[in-house]
Amino acid sequence: MTDCPNGLMRDLLPEYARGVLGADDAARVAEHLDACAMCRAELALLGRVQDGLALGVPRMNVAAIVGALPKPQPVVRVMPRRGVSRHVWQYAAAAGLVLAVGGGIVWRRAPETGAVRVADSSHVAAAAGAESTQSTASVQSEHGITFGGGLSDLSLNDLQALLGQMDSVRTLPSTDPESMTPVIMNEGGKTL
Amino acid sequence: MSESSREGDAQVDVALITRWQRGDQRAATEIVERHAQALARFAATHGVRDGVDDLVQDTFVRAFHSIDNFRSDSSLRTWLFTILKRLVLDRQRAERRSRNQVELDEGHAVQEFNALDGMVADEALLRVQQAVGRLSPLQREVFTLRVTEGMPYSEIAKMVDSTEGACRVHYHNAMRAVKEYLSDEGVPER
Ligand SMILES: [Zn+2]
Repeated sequence: MTDCPNGLMRDLLPEYARGVLGADDAARVAEHLDACAMCRAELALLGRVQDGLALGVPRMNVAAIVGALPKPQPVVRVMPRRGVSRHVWQYAAAAGLVLAVGGGIVWRRAPETGAVRVADSSHVAAAAGAESTQSTASVQSEHGITFGGGLSDLSLNDLQALLGQMDSVRTLPSTDPESMTPVIMNEGGKTL
Repeated sequence: MSESSREGDAQVDVALITRWQRGDQRAATEIVERHAQALARFAATHGVRDGVDDLVQDTFVRAFHSIDNFRSDSSLRTWLFTILKRLVLDRQRAERRSRNQVELDEGHAVQEFNALDGMVADEALLRVQQAVGRLSPLQREVFTLRVTEGMPYSEIAKMVDSTEGACRVHYHNAMRAVKEYLSDEGVPER
């Protein structure tokens, strides 16, 4: 078998035979093959070598191999979602403001279900007050929770009584903080 | 040289790896389906006669355990071949040790390759195997990677720790040797 003098085409033949050439190169090789018996003979030889090397090679059992592989381990970290907590605190601060300015009026005017919501607000505001809200209004909810000024004004007994009364509030705030949400992260700490 | 087809393949592999890392086990099946048979062929050209399945499985297990080390500057298949090649060398070393043999020279290595003797029904294909088996280990590796996988010289060079130019020379020398062997033997060309 004589070698074709076109080294570039000969070099591309194995990739052409495996079908891994890009479309442009494949078209150029096909065109050359039409006109070159030497490259056609070499291409046929490449096919025989491929067949010869593949012969007797056992068929791989994909399922068995996959069954032996380690399981993927995406890193799972439980962390609070910042957006949710900010939302809750914004709500609490707003509720505190409502209580400070005219909570009592709203409470008196509200229909029955609305009264519950004001009571809810005082519940949240009581919590918020410990953080940031300096409430100066005197508020009494339907559950009898009463305080004026900040929580710092309350005695230990007052606080215990307040906590006991809060425990009796059965209606939860409508913006109950969402549960902790697992955030899946990859190894690099990037949120997926 | 156009790389479009190969680059597309590489992107598919990278996407599959990412899917697997995120917990999609079906991606592992696709990866194995894409490369298992090529690994088996590669093992055969390295003279592995028995336990090809185990060897290929070990290769994948090792690869998946250290998939974070895979760098997409070479193809996934090249990386898998490199792992398999290391396992083959380890296995051959262990076998030699157990047989208390001295290091095999290249002449022995050629005999090693005749893994499929007696298993080949087609005489012409057996001749082809013998022709390839007579190549030096380096020539044989370059030649078979080029012919059976269509691997570019740049990737082959990484695998055999050589240069693209040297690999091109090895390939063409191997091709000449195979042609000469087959014409000497008077094997009709199909
Ligand atoms: Zn030609």
